[in-house]
Amino acid sequence: MSPENFSAATATSKGSSIPKALTGIQGLDDILMGGFPQGRTTIINGVAGTGKTVMAMEFLYRGALAGEPGLFISFEERAEDIRINAAGMGIDIASLEEGGKFRVIHAELPLDTVNSGEFDTSGLLAMIEGHVGLIGAKRIVLDAIDVLMSIFGDPRREREEISILHNRLRDLGMTTILTVKVGPEGKMIYPFLDFMADCVLFLDQRLTGQVRTRRLSVLKYRGSDFLSNEHPYVFSPNGIVLLPVSSSALEQLSFRERVSSGHPKMDEILGGGYFRGSSILLAGPSGIGKTSLACIFAHAACNKGEKVLYVDFEVAQEALVGAMQSIGLDLRPALDADSQLRIRTAMPESMGIEDHLLRIINEMNLFSPHHLVVDAISACRRMGSERAAFDFLVRLMTECKSRGITCLYTNQIRNQENLTRLSGMGISSLVDTIIALEYFFEGQGLNRRMMVIKSRGSDHSSAFHQMAFTDQGLELSRIAGKARCTYDRDRRA
Amino acid sequence: MIKPECSQKVKTEYHLILFVAGDGANSRIARNNLDRLCELELAGRFTLKIVDVLKNFKAAVENNILVTPTLLVCKPEPGVIVIGNLNEHQKVRTALSLKADQP
Repeated sequence: MSPENFSAATATSKGSSIPKALTGIQGLDDILMGGFPQGRTTIINGVAGTGKTVMAMEFLYRGALAGEPGLFISFEERAEDIRINAAGMGIDIASLEEGGKFRVIHAELPLDTVNSGEFDTSGLLAMIEGHVGLIGAKRIVLDAIDVLMSIFGDPRREREEISILHNRLRDLGMTTILTVKVGPEGKMIYPFLDFMADCVLFLDQRLTGQVRTRRLSVLKYRGSDFLSNEHPYVFSPNGIVLLPVSSSALEQLSFRERVSSGHPKMDEILGGGYFRGSSILLAGPSGIGKTSLACIFAHAACNKGEKVLYVDFEVAQEALVGAMQSIGLDLRPALDADSQLRIRTAMPESMGIEDHLLRIINEMNLFSPHHLVVDAISACRRMGSERAAFDFLVRLMTECKSRGITCLYTNQIRNQENLTRLSGMGISSLVDTIIALEYFFEGQGLNRRMMVIKSRGSDHSSAFHQMAFTDQGLELSRIAGKARCTYDRDRRA
Repeated sequence: MIKPECSQKVKTEYHLILFVAGDGANSRIARNNLDRLCELELAGRFTLKIVDVLKNFKAAVENNILVTPTLLVCKPEPGVIVIGNLNEHQKVRTALSLKADQP
């Protein structure tokens, strides 16, 4: 067998051949490689507040819009509350119900009743079948099935009844979602449900630092591949948005095309400029000129007709534009009419990493920038925790890599920190080019110098260059003699 | 809780509706239990309506019948809902405000 044939065979065996019902939920169909199993049962497990109901509702809603009517049976919330909550997410159930494409039913459980012996859920089944027949439903959600089960108070009966329900819905060919509450530590109350279902999702939320993040993972999918890992998600005005974590996006692209750093001498030091689509880290102490180097790059790219998205976690747009004027850099023409340069400022602590990421990705979708500047990644720690900052950067990097966007990150570090601390967050190995900036004393004055620590796939100068910012811009000159390199010293230590 | 089926005016002392699912085991047992009780204790002072949810799902929806068998005791007021096959006689008697069986 030739290698070509072999790879073709593995490609077709990927994913699955079972029929699937598209969820229409952003990112979820990628994770599930096409959607929920059609005509089968999917379980959404999750602790309280993770959005099980919302996810199930959106699945039904998008299905109904696409021509598959849906039936939503709630064992917990009243139908009116469900309609109101959905409307808050931009989901208009009422008009779909009028059109006979949707139905919300509150299956109120008889709690204040006398129990006089064995019973079964034939009434519920009859009701479901009746409604399914009336609207021609193809999809059904049983929200909070755990509440229904609790009325039996006997594990054997619970199991029997749920099996009957499951089999009946399968016979009807319904694509079924059951939502199930799980205990605080992810403890399953009804483990047999997971054995029964063809697809099982788990929704989780945790608080890291001050910020809440929600994640989805697929626990099983009978007869199909899926993206493993935990996938973060957020509630947006357009419904749930998942950000699939895919390992394939980390595959290294080889860089060929160069893009100017914005300064001829800098390009020379770099061996011809940055690589298009690569990621670059500018690390150095406060005030050394990281933002200036980033803006020089952005300004030059805009002058060549390319688009730059500038994510600023530090200062307001006016302050940035003003500061750059002092080194002879006018960003205003590129900013006018948002055509070339877009600056987006945000307080890191204002939201969680998913929301930050979503905002940036939305902006990338709308603006299609060639390059992205993030100033400064050190601020990302304020999104919750070191771990959150790392996640944010890795996901942003993979997103940009897959789109071929050049990324320039600045990072504030203390002077003369060693090489391993340059990114501060363990991402040094992920970036392609690292430029270190530092202060040094010479004669009577404090000077600035820079050095390219690494640049993947490129020859570059490894000498220190002195930097000076004047109203004419940046001046770079090679430092004569054997300047002592603090980074080398730390590396040997 | 409003029970549309119960809203009609009935002169009798007991007004009962039993929801069953076809000829299922529990439905059959409930029917037998109720027939015997009515014959022995409520003769001449009750009305009984039996609704099969498999044939009349709308009635099940209107009365929110999720489990079968379900006995709605509409009268005497304020009414009570008894679920299950009515095998636990004492509970049924209490629900119908009948005095307890002699031991």
